[in-house]
Amino acid sequence: MSPALFQTALDASLALCALGLLWRSSAWFRLRIGPDARAVTPSGRVAAVLRGAASALFSRRALRLLGAFLLDVLFLRRLFASEKLRWLAHLLIVAGFTLLLLMHALAPLVSARLFPGYQPTLAPYLFLRNFFGVMLLVGVALLLFGRWRAGLAQWRRPTAAVFVALLGFVLASGFLLEAHKIASPRAFYRMSEQFIGSSDSEELKPLRALWASEYGVAFDDLKAGIDPRLADQGRTLHGDACAACHTPPASAFVSYPVARLLAPLTGRLDAGHAAAWLLYLHVFACFLGLASLPFTRFFHVVAAPISVLVDAVGPSSAMSAAGRASRRALALDACVRCGVCDARCSVAPLARYLGNPGLLPARKLQATAAMASGRLLPSGQDGDAQWDAALRAADGAFLCTDCGRCTSACPVGLDLADLWQAGRGDLAAAGLPAPAQWVQARPALAWAELLEPGPALQKFSDPDASMAPLCADRRSFSRCVQCQTCTNVCPVVAHSTDCEHGIDLTPQKVMNLLRLGLGDLALGSRMVWDCATCYQCQENCPEGIRVTDILCELRALAVRRLGAVRGRGGVA
Amino acid sequence: MRYALFLGCKIPSQLPAYAVSTRAVLAQLGVTLIDLAFDCCGYPARNVSRDAFVLAAIRNLALAERAGLDVLTPCTCCFGTLRHAIRFQGEDAALGARVASALAEEGLAWSGKTEVEHLLPLLSRKVGVGALAAAVRAPRTGLRVAAQYGCHALRPSNIARFDNPTAPTMFEALIRATGATPVDWPRRLDCCGDPLHQANAPLSEDLTRAKIDDALESGAEAICTACPHCHLRFTAVESGGTDPALRTLLYTQLLGLAMGLPAASLGL
Repeated sequence: MSPALFQTALDASLALCALGLLWRSSAWFRLRIGPDARAVTPSGRVAAVLRGAASALFSRRALRLLGAFLLDVLFLRRLFASEKLRWLAHLLIVAGFTLLLLMHALAPLVSARLFPGYQPTLAPYLFLRNFFGVMLLVGVALLLFGRWRAGLAQWRRPTAAVFVALLGFVLASGFLLEAHKIASPRAFYRMSEQFIGSSDSEELKPLRALWASEYGVAFDDLKAGIDPRLADQGRTLHGDACAACHTPPASAFVSYPVARLLAPLTGRLDAGHAAAWLLYLHVFACFLGLASLPFTRFFHVVAAPISVLVDAVGPSSAMSAAGRASRRALALDACVRCGVCDARCSVAPLARYLGNPGLLPARKLQATAAMASGRLLPSGQDGDAQWDAALRAADGAFLCTDCGRCTSACPVGLDLADLWQAGRGDLAAAGLPAPAQWVQARPALAWAELLEPGPALQKFSDPDASMAPLCADRRSFSRCVQCQTCTNVCPVVAHSTDCEHGIDLTPQKVMNLLRLGLGDLALGSRMVWDCATCYQCQENCPEGIRVTDILCELRALAVRRLGAVRGRGGVA
Repeated sequence: MRYALFLGCKIPSQLPAYAVSTRAVLAQLGVTLIDLAFDCCGYPARNVSRDAFVLAAIRNLALAERAGLDVLTPCTCCFGTLRHAIRFQGEDAALGARVASALAEEGLAWSGKTEVEHLLPLLSRKVGVGALAAAVRAPRTGLRVAAQYGCHALRPSNIARFDNPTAPTMFEALIRATGATPVDWPRRLDCCGDPLHQANAPLSEDLTRAKIDDALESGAEAICTACPHCHLRFTAVESGGTDPALRTLLYTQLLGLAMGLPAASLGL
């Protein structure tokens, strides 16, 4: 390969990689997640991050950072705690890749300086290169196996699949190149010409016999039954010209067997200059991987360690608004979509039963990213599907119990609890708050009027009995004698004497509307939504009416029925 | 006595001291607590879907049944939710069938045997006030305490089966066992305001503030709680207000101090 071409390609891919890294990491200072993030400028965020990093590095917290780097970044301790198989896969990939990079790809800078006399064709490097490659290969295979076992047949983003394929291609071409060079007579003659000054096949016959029998070179005329005495005659020349840089390649435990397998094809491969194009493929695939890394989700190899270190510095609550804003944006890149959070989520059963995976942390993070980049909220032209997606994302956000299990389990140290809180603030600001808030946008009567004209809408007199059995059965409220006991014991009524947060209906009026078949009038009422569920009314009702249970059913009906007419003429 | 400990979502994340002190106190009183992989009690889904709420609750009980344990919860809200779910699925055969089939998909089943117990009745009835008094080494003599029962412990009484809903005495007796003096305060059975905190913050704070004022006027030095929701609401409103005269104390902390346990082991 011409050095100029190599250098140009290397420079170009390094430049692309650097630009990509710059562009991706600039998002950490640009993306705004959470209402408090709107108050700080990108430059303020850069300053806050620099200040935070400096104060962490030049204090006692530096020790904590070092510990986190060793245990959490290098050893992947958090992943070890939750998922052993994935941990093993990651450790194999990280170790295999790093060691190959240092020993093999950066050999002139690292191996040659650390180990005088380093040659890629000497023991133990022949063995080590194969060993590191196999570590990487096994790690990738384990990850793919994990995906398959988890039922993830499809890649969410094609770039991720392409990147994994590229990595596989680098490995395969590397092994093939090494194998071919072991077996290649063309390579042998090129070296003999350079170091012995001869490529005469007869003159070099003893040396060739030695290299055919001990170094796996596939000479056409030296295939079977090589005379050991002939090979022995080649040892002196071998010792003078070759041995300093070559040890028998059998320790290359992948490439050597492959070389033996390829032996019958070696002549044709040599004729086609296979060594040259395999080298091109191998090197250019590496450059392509380097250049594209920032643009795939494997950018997490940069973002995730940073996130782990940031987490070691302290909780989001102790950071400035600017620092918090940057940490939230970083989280979107650091998430590796491992699913540990989903497995630990305490509302995962609810997500299943409600048929809304939007409750699960991994989906919520995607929704947060979509929201931050303006892809979640529907605009004027968007159809029902986009509305539905946005509302389901909001449902998911507001049903979270803030139990914090996702945060404590996250292998890359994301403060998910802080992200959820910020996300809910953004949703509320964008007109998608929790149901208790959005019903307040209209008085009860206005909601009832919105329900009026729709022939497609279910009549209130016939609510779904499986969803609201008490509201659906007249016998559960028809005994009400309007004695007002419920109203008299209600703390919400008692505390609603001033106009500021006064309620519209009282519990007994809600019961009366139900008796009259006018339940629609109650759905958006403050009484239904401001009920504290203290059960005083139900406990004290002389007729044994389950007043609080009925109010709770009305809320569930309101979420469904009012939600269906909510989008008409604006979000709220 | 062995129970599966149901901490719910609030305690581990926002009030770990309640978990710590509950474990510390019950360990001394011969109650063994087992941790199972419980999930949310189902409460948040109550405003959205009756099916999802009941399913989530019963699924937890099925996990306890599989382990052969009854459930003990120090959270009054979880207590009420789990008990409600039992009633709802018991009175609606179709819902019961939907629950059974959803559980079966996970290889779970619930036969209805699991008891859901709250911390206070466990201490009062199963451990016994006498045994508590006998375990007290450092009585909190002279400390005037207002008992905060919590709505979902008392009402609806046919579901909670906790104490007399209009004139309960259980919490006061438990306070007396620690050597402290329970105060009589008019608003002791009222709502703490927490359920309205998200929906209507000013109204919620009115309710909380009224209770704090009432406890102070009644001569209390501390409000004693047995629910993370009540506790967190009182703490938040007190620290935001001008009058920190009233402390918020978990019953397990009060009892633990009286039993002579070190404050650090009670999350204090």
